[in-house]
Amino acid sequence: MDKKTLIIDHFECWGCKACEVACKQENNAPDGIKLIEIVEDGPRMAGEQPFFEYHVRVCRHCEDPPCVAECPVAAITRRSDHMVILDTAECTGCEACIDACPYDAISFDEANGVARKCNMCSSRVNQGLIPACADNICLARCIQFTSTFDST
Amino acid sequence: MTEFMQSNIEREMAVYGYDSLVKSHCRMCHGGCGVLIYLKDKKIAKIAGDPDCPINHGSLCSKGLASAQMAYHPDRLTFPVKRIGAKGSGRWARISWDEALDTIAERILDYKSRFGAESIVMGYGTGRENEAAIYRFANLLGSPNVLTAGHFCYGPRIATSIITCGTNPIVDYEHHPKCIMVWGNNVVISNPDCYKGEPFSNSVKKGAKLIAVDPRLTRIAARSEIWLPLRPGTDAALALGMLHVIITEKLYDHEFVENHVFGWDAFKERVRQYPLDKVEEITWVPSEKIAAAARLFATTKPAAIQWGVAIEQQITCADNDRLLMALMGLTGNIDVPGGQVLFQPPKVRNVGQFGAHRMLTDVQRDKRLGGDRFRMADNFAIINPKCVWDAILEEKPYPVKMLFFISSNPVITRANAREVYRALEKVEFMAVADFFITPTAELADIVLPAATWLEMDYIGDYWKRHGYILPRRKAIQVGECRSDHEMLNDLGRRVGQEAHWWENFEQALDWILEPMNITWQEFKKMDYLRGDVVSQKYKARGFSTPTRKFELYATVLETWGYDPLPRFREPPESPYSTPELCEEFPYILITGRRQPGFFHTENRQVPWLRELHRDPVVEIHPDAAGKEGIEEGQWVYIESPRGRIRQRAKYFSGMDPRIVSAEHGWWFPEKNIPGRGWDESNINILTDNRYETCDPAMGATSVRTLLCRIYPVSESEVSHG
Ligand code: SF4
Ligand code: SF4
Repeated sequence: MDKKTLIIDHFECWGCKACEVACKQENNAPDGIKLIEIVEDGPRMAGEQPFFEYHVRVCRHCEDPPCVAECPVAAITRRSDHMVILDTAECTGCEACIDACPYDAISFDEANGVARKCNMCSSRVNQGLIPACADNICLARCIQFTSTFDST
Repeated sequence: MTEFMQSNIEREMAVYGYDSLVKSHCRMCHGGCGVLIYLKDKKIAKIAGDPDCPINHGSLCSKGLASAQMAYHPDRLTFPVKRIGAKGSGRWARISWDEALDTIAERILDYKSRFGAESIVMGYGTGRENEAAIYRFANLLGSPNVLTAGHFCYGPRIATSIITCGTNPIVDYEHHPKCIMVWGNNVVISNPDCYKGEPFSNSVKKGAKLIAVDPRLTRIAARSEIWLPLRPGTDAALALGMLHVIITEKLYDHEFVENHVFGWDAFKERVRQYPLDKVEEITWVPSEKIAAAARLFATTKPAAIQWGVAIEQQITCADNDRLLMALMGLTGNIDVPGGQVLFQPPKVRNVGQFGAHRMLTDVQRDKRLGGDRFRMADNFAIINPKCVWDAILEEKPYPVKMLFFISSNPVITRANAREVYRALEKVEFMAVADFFITPTAELADIVLPAATWLEMDYIGDYWKRHGYILPRRKAIQVGECRSDHEMLNDLGRRVGQEAHWWENFEQALDWILEPMNITWQEFKKMDYLRGDVVSQKYKARGFSTPTRKFELYATVLETWGYDPLPRFREPPESPYSTPELCEEFPYILITGRRQPGFFHTENRQVPWLRELHRDPVVEIHPDAAGKEGIEEGQWVYIESPRGRIRQRAKYFSGMDPRIVSAEHGWWFPEKNIPGRGWDESNINILTDNRYETCDPAMGATSVRTLLCRIYPVSESEVSHG
């Protein structure tokens, strides 16, 4: 099975938020729910240097996902192609995954009473398309999608 | 471009069952990006970037991506309306296009016969690529008065570059500058004028060294080799200081100076008056840093200056532009690959010809409002807005009876907003063409539903100086909305201009393209047209200026009675020019920090864009916030001698604690009250527009740098807000 990965170069991010809107266009997450979100780090001093960066907050599709481990109803699964998928139909809204995620990448959708996170545009990827945020939208191409043969 | 990976178009269509694809050209900002519009059942289902477009190479910004949400917005005005209640009452009745245009035409002819064509002022804001059509209409009518943002945005760059070197020098990112000095510009967020953030970003990835001139620590500043956090409004002094270093250390291009520059000795003498110790005192930037930046910029080839509007919205407007051009010229970076190129447009009929400026008689031209005061603006058919408000309110030098604003929201965007509001309340007749009933449109007699870029055929980037034109192809029709061009074509035929307009607007596009021997239908099948790219054209034919040289000393400015050499002017309100005022209003307020998703006053009602940024935000240094008792996220009042507004405080330590930075363009479309909160957070409630505070040649209003105080909004007031 090809291993699917989102590679993110936070250093290159300019904070333009095009990826946030590309995600909305594809997934139409409810108002206030951001499956991908740009967050600010700084300004602050890093030694003598003034420091200011943007970071892309999105599901990392971890190798050993704590959210999968914590979910009591197995609503989150890690596929053989390494994509970590949250199935909102199975989600009971207990929020265990939200606390478990070290990257703050899962939000609670109040209106629907479920947890929401980036599923790496699985419906696109399943059909051979690139996830919306990685689909050449970004001016710095900080977000790249790769599909490589997994020999393990 | 195969360099960047993008989903296959056929596959995309098959998977989602889209019926068709229209390639077009976005204009959610100044325009520019090539776009793929996927349609299903004649409705837009998805927008993506066009990988074949040389402007954006498939990338797209938040605004472009959300265009369809704007086009299909439930609040969109989709048919003409006339006002049936008092101004601002929000009571409208639907009318037909014929009734709307006949009424407007009747008013125009009536005012023209009674008060002269000059009593009718046409206006646009940043322009939805309708500029040339609006000027055409006004010139044919005989009105010299077209009120635009040109006095303080882009117009100054065009005017000053024409008198300095013939045309606007554009950064040549295609050939990757090795050093980019980003001057008061956040190109990756704003995609200003002739630029997009994408090519800039590509050059940075290729290793361009950055110098940032910005009072705020932007991401660009944080990535720069050298960041020069200048005192706001002192750009000219900083540039003069850099020139001082470049001249005394002989880092300039000797061949260029010897053979292609006019006024070298006088210019050198002027620069000599700005030694680094003095410049450090003015700008608050340490002289070693200024020297280091000057050296890096002058010795790295090719180098370029990424410039924009911030330096133009100051009392030192024209001279700021001219000084940055002096830096480009003296370092030998004009018209060289990877430097700043004087691109040539494709050989179509240009915007000047389409604008029909020659049709305006001398008698009418001499009546241009403020023409005797702001001579450079006058020569480029630009007016200072206060001249219009005065003509309405005081009827001096003559009464203005009618306003026709096409894509403009001046009660939010022009300085001294309360005066603007009074003038719009008083004017006898006002028509507006726009997407929504904005706070400006609320004061109109008739509002016309304008088409967005998705709903029109046009020649994209027709007005730009980067040398490309690209087809904008109509993808959808929304209600009865019509493009501004079509509307003016129709209106022109109703006021006796039929000989100069066309049966339909497609014929106008054919006329523009005719010198290239192509029609619109043929152009529509092309990706783009580009003018010939030739370097150092001045070596063969000189620069297109009176002396055929690069004019450091502007001969035409001298003719118009101005100092031909650039200089620094202290901002009209500052700790140094108004020290007493500074005791009461102790902070330097800078305005207009760009946010992703918004374009001046636009897009506050577009859900995906408003979600990026919900509230107007004023940045304050944590030290200053502590002193003023301001908490992070709290609503605060920002007050100037002209009034007060509120925005939400955000701690930001990346600037001098003596500075606060507020946003512009705010109104609240979601508020269902008259005025839609037009004066609650609108920065121009605070700005000044007195003539003495404007650039003496260009009439630019000084909206970027003023003095303010800042304090919390009390709990009880918040709940009432
Ligand atoms: S599109 Fe790219 S540069 Fe823009 S915010 Fe997203 S990751 Fe950053
Ligand atoms: S930068 Fe301007 S032209 Fe490009 S997508 Fe954004 S709004 Fe459209």
